[in-house]
Amino acid sequence: MKKRIQFTVNGHAVAVKAESHQMLLEVLRDTLHLTGTKYGCGEGECGACTVLVDGASVDSCLYPAFEIEGRKVTTIEGLMGARNQLHTLQKSFVENGGIQCGYCTPGMIMSAKALLDETPHPGADEIRRGISGNLCRCTGYVQIIESIAKAAEKEQGNE
Amino acid sequence: MEDNLNIVGKRVVRSDSLAKVTGRARYTADLKMPNMLVAKVLRSPHPHAKILAIDLDGARKVPGVKAAISGFDGSGIKWGVFRYTQDHAMLPTDKVRYIGEDVAAVAAVDEETALEALSRIRVDYEPLPSVFDPLEAMREGAPIIHEQYKNNINIHVHIDVGDVDKAMESAFLVREDTFKAAGEAYAMMEPYAVVASFQNGFLDLWMPNAGPHVRAKALANLLKMPLNKVRVRHINSGGAFGGRSEVAPADLVASLLSIKADRPVKLVLSREENATSSRQIHDMSATIKTAMSKDGTIVAKDLRAIYDGGAYSSTGPIATSVPFYVYEECYRFPNIRYNGYRIITNKGIRGMYGCHGRAFLAGNEAQMDLMAKELGLDPVEIRLKNGLRAGEMTATKSRITSCGLQETIETTARKTDFQKRWAKPQKLEGIGMGCVAIMCGFPMGFRSGSSCYLKINDDGYVTLVTGVVDNGQGNESMVIQAASEILGVPMEDINLVNADTEITNLDPGAYSQAAAFVSTNAVKIACEKARKQIVAIAAEKLAVSETDIALKNRLVYSVANPEKKMPIAWVVREAFARAEPVVATGTFFPDIDLEREWISRPWGQMAGTFSYATSVAEIAVDSETGMITMPRFTAAHDCGRAINPMAVEGQIEGSVQQAGVAAITEGNLWDGGHLLNPDLLEYKVPLACDMPEIDAIIVESGDPVGPFGAKEGGIAIRMNAYSAVACALTNATGVLFKEMPLTPDKVLEMVEKATEEKG
Repeated sequence: MKKRIQFTVNGHAVAVKAESHQMLLEVLRDTLHLTGTKYGCGEGECGACTVLVDGASVDSCLYPAFEIEGRKVTTIEGLMGARNQLHTLQKSFVENGGIQCGYCTPGMIMSAKALLDETPHPGADEIRRGISGNLCRCTGYVQIIESIAKAAEKEQGNE
Repeated sequence: MEDNLNIVGKRVVRSDSLAKVTGRARYTADLKMPNMLVAKVLRSPHPHAKILAIDLDGARKVPGVKAAISGFDGSGIKWGVFRYTQDHAMLPTDKVRYIGEDVAAVAAVDEETALEALSRIRVDYEPLPSVFDPLEAMREGAPIIHEQYKNNINIHVHIDVGDVDKAMESAFLVREDTFKAAGEAYAMMEPYAVVASFQNGFLDLWMPNAGPHVRAKALANLLKMPLNKVRVRHINSGGAFGGRSEVAPADLVASLLSIKADRPVKLVLSREENATSSRQIHDMSATIKTAMSKDGTIVAKDLRAIYDGGAYSSTGPIATSVPFYVYEECYRFPNIRYNGYRIITNKGIRGMYGCHGRAFLAGNEAQMDLMAKELGLDPVEIRLKNGLRAGEMTATKSRITSCGLQETIETTARKTDFQKRWAKPQKLEGIGMGCVAIMCGFPMGFRSGSSCYLKINDDGYVTLVTGVVDNGQGNESMVIQAASEILGVPMEDINLVNADTEITNLDPGAYSQAAAFVSTNAVKIACEKARKQIVAIAAEKLAVSETDIALKNRLVYSVANPEKKMPIAWVVREAFARAEPVVATGTFFPDIDLEREWISRPWGQMAGTFSYATSVAEIAVDSETGMITMPRFTAAHDCGRAINPMAVEGQIEGSVQQAGVAAITEGNLWDGGHLLNPDLLEYKVPLACDMPEIDAIIVESGDPVGPFGAKEGGIAIRMNAYSAVACALTNATGVLFKEMPLTPDKVLEMVEKATEEKG
């Protein structure tokens, strides 16, 4: 079954045709060409496809496309501010080496964003728990945790 | 070591990070081309079966299908890295040898159509008896998987130095133990993907890979095409760890489909296909017999390792050898014998791995600790006593030019209060140490060296062309940083063109740990030549001597009188006007013995240099559940010189995860030829909450030939972190591990055994 669905992606209203079996990940990557969100497992195990739906982090590979009607989706492409200013988290990942192969990075940053929106000043353990749905095979997570902690500090400084 | 460096040695932002943090970095599955088709592969349901017939007609009739192929559409050529390992057709026509093997494939306008077409392919199989255990496969009467490998012995590496038997007889202490380890999964976050586009006789390919040139060579052979028409292009790679080093069946599949359909084809493997049908890691066992004199000197080793190689050779001779070499490059062995066997079984193909050989290496290290204890020595003393030093030769005649092994041992011991804590372990708490060395580049014949070409444009911006490959470890940023240092321009002024077989020259790629020592040296040499050209013109223009010239911040200036200066861009323009544009080529070939061969001549200089590392794990064992917790991990790596310390630390930390914590959690599970955990739920890649506190320590021994003193940075920890965990467990329980991963069931057995022994 095909259906027209309308929702908001990174602040822009969109209308797409989707099949009933399609997941949000496919709509984002194949229909809307937002390939920053990655396919890692298709089963919600790795977190590479993490995006925000109405501010909450979800595995887009498990999120039915039909369910997205009327909701607000934020992907890694929507994190930058005006004039392509990097988000504090993005800047912090760059500066603190929180990136190696980069494949988990978009999902990792989106999970971190959800964490900091909920808990602006997380401790190290809260950060570890906050990104426990996101696998990284390269970094041992140390520089990722550091990147998130420093981003939180910086945000605090801006308040 | 060269000091007064402007940028080398600094914690710089990696050149690739901006694209990766914004989602703009492109990976193979992100590529879209006009008229691109979707490919799907039909895989073998049998571990071992004769192919009687493959009928593709049903698939071809499905509307929207543009091509359907099997091995009968190929050239019939079998690929092998070595002349004596040419056993892999990629798409078989005689028989299938593992569950998940590529049998046929289709390319269609969309995924649904491709899947529908797959269901209409008819393959007639005649199932054959299969064998999954290497020891069974070696027995007389076992099913033979390839006719040319008698008793399914694919590779036998035999090394015998000195007189092992005689030394064993007269030794003070002799001990023999056997260790096993399950093969791990690479579990790179990016499932394998290939895009192939055949147009006008040229085949363009994108896929995550560690060595585009080796890949192009294999495909050129398989497709009977010249190398200048098979063009492997640059693309980001979502992790490799050794598993993207060799040509994959998917490469041939996508190529044949694109040639047939005359359209671009994209093939993306599922997570499960990535585990069953790309590359796997060897399960292994190692029997280790060690003889020591009364003072703890290792006088002889008799080593036997059996590797479950799966269905094909892959990099077999290398994989069968490397655990032995990284060990003999670390310690002094006057008498040593190694028999490494790689056995063909009806399982997926096994390749090299960044953490390859854990049963062998952790077994050797843990056994050494027990023997040392018996002689009244501790792990630090025994390692310092037997560890190689700069200037010495390894058992198979490789000279050690720089060696920070002692410093890594002493530093980690001091920072963890190792000796005191090891001597008096709290009940079921333990501390353990693992050491290893690693070659910076394997001998790969004429592919062992690297060449770099650079030009400086008339605005002073630099174009750097090299075969160097980045699978996430930061190699691209590393060579840009090195070029920036020498040319006196910021990193952002340098555009790197790399990992593209049409434009770049041969390079080992992100394989064999050669990028820092070999590839960066080539870049350095090219940059130095260009710099020399700039210096000569600038000295003339500024009327100072060439020795007085320095380059920094896009300027060339007199050191004695910094007021005398001019932009580098002006010098470049002057060079154009003189018809001598600033272009340079740099080539580096390591000092290795090219006569060396993995099986027929296993001696001679293995690599230009070796890096060293020591890991220390601190663990606690829960006697009720058998669970190991690891609060702290300390790792020191002699990488010669850290070009970007932040990147080297990232490598060390990743290694603690992939080898250290993995020693507790990771292993493939099998039921016959069925892989039981091809996903990421049942296969336990450590999460952030599983990680210990890590102290990553950089030791800089300053290699005399390495660029700025640099050697490999990272893999040495990948090859000893599991040893530290195994040794800590021995320290906690008093007994040796039998099998990795060290899951609660196995740990409980050890705890029970320890209780029995104490009686």
